[in-house]
Amino acid sequence: MASCCGQPIISRKSRVGQGRNDNSTRESEGKMKFTTMTLCASALLLLAVPAQAAGDPRAGQLKTSMCAGCHGIAGWRTAYPSVYSVPKLGGQHADYIVAALKAYKSGERSHPSMTAIAGSLSERDMDDLAAYYASSYSGAAN
Amino acid sequence: MKKTCFILAVIALGASPAAHAKGNYEAGKAKSASCAACHGADGVSTVASFPKLAGQHRDYLYQALKDYRSGKRKNPIMAGQAKNLSDTDMLDLAMYFSKQQGLTLKY
Repeated sequence: MASCCGQPIISRKSRVGQGRNDNSTRESEGKMKFTTMTLCASALLLLAVPAQAAGDPRAGQLKTSMCAGCHGIAGWRTAYPSVYSVPKLGGQHADYIVAALKAYKSGERSHPSMTAIAGSLSERDMDDLAAYYASSYSGAAN
Repeated sequence: MKKTCFILAVIALGASPAAHAKGNYEAGKAKSASCAACHGADGVSTVASFPKLAGQHRDYLYQALKDYRSGKRKNPIMAGQAKNLSDTDMLDLAMYFSKQQGLTLKY
């Protein structure tokens, strides 16, 4: 077993010094390039994925003053233009909350209060608020 | 006697729309299969772009479905889904998803 696994490594090491045109050297250089490319791609992916929902729950918790008056009160209903309970936000996906806020801001989704409030929020605010409502963080210890 | 009849009639009138407006849990469960593809089993979506429905307010879910059907709220997928639903279907679905464990009130 040891000779089976160890043999190719030893032989490759010994061949590296024999010449630049050696097939094994090129093969290992190819492997290195592939490894480097894979590492770079992984790093980019890691950077890209959290960027979609990079909000900070702690920062978001400090921005809820305009939300809590409706979304934070049990049984609260919006009265205009229709009467129905305002949606629960606790545990909702951050991406969905951001999408909803953006849709209110752009006018794609309409509700008088939400259009006004979302219109006053930056993308950073939206990310932070969404992260807060999606998370289990509920504020500094009271 | 007339008075009793009148009172009973008022109670009946008051009660029947309320009973109707709440939807039927079991019927909603049976109709929820096509929702699960995006919103997850029992309304707990595992895909971040699709909202969780579990535990959401019943009347909010009903309103959202009505708005998708009327076109007031725009989403290509939901427009297609909601156009085939009757008021009763919407009430039943809203009842079913509102009773699942998921979303919470968060201050």
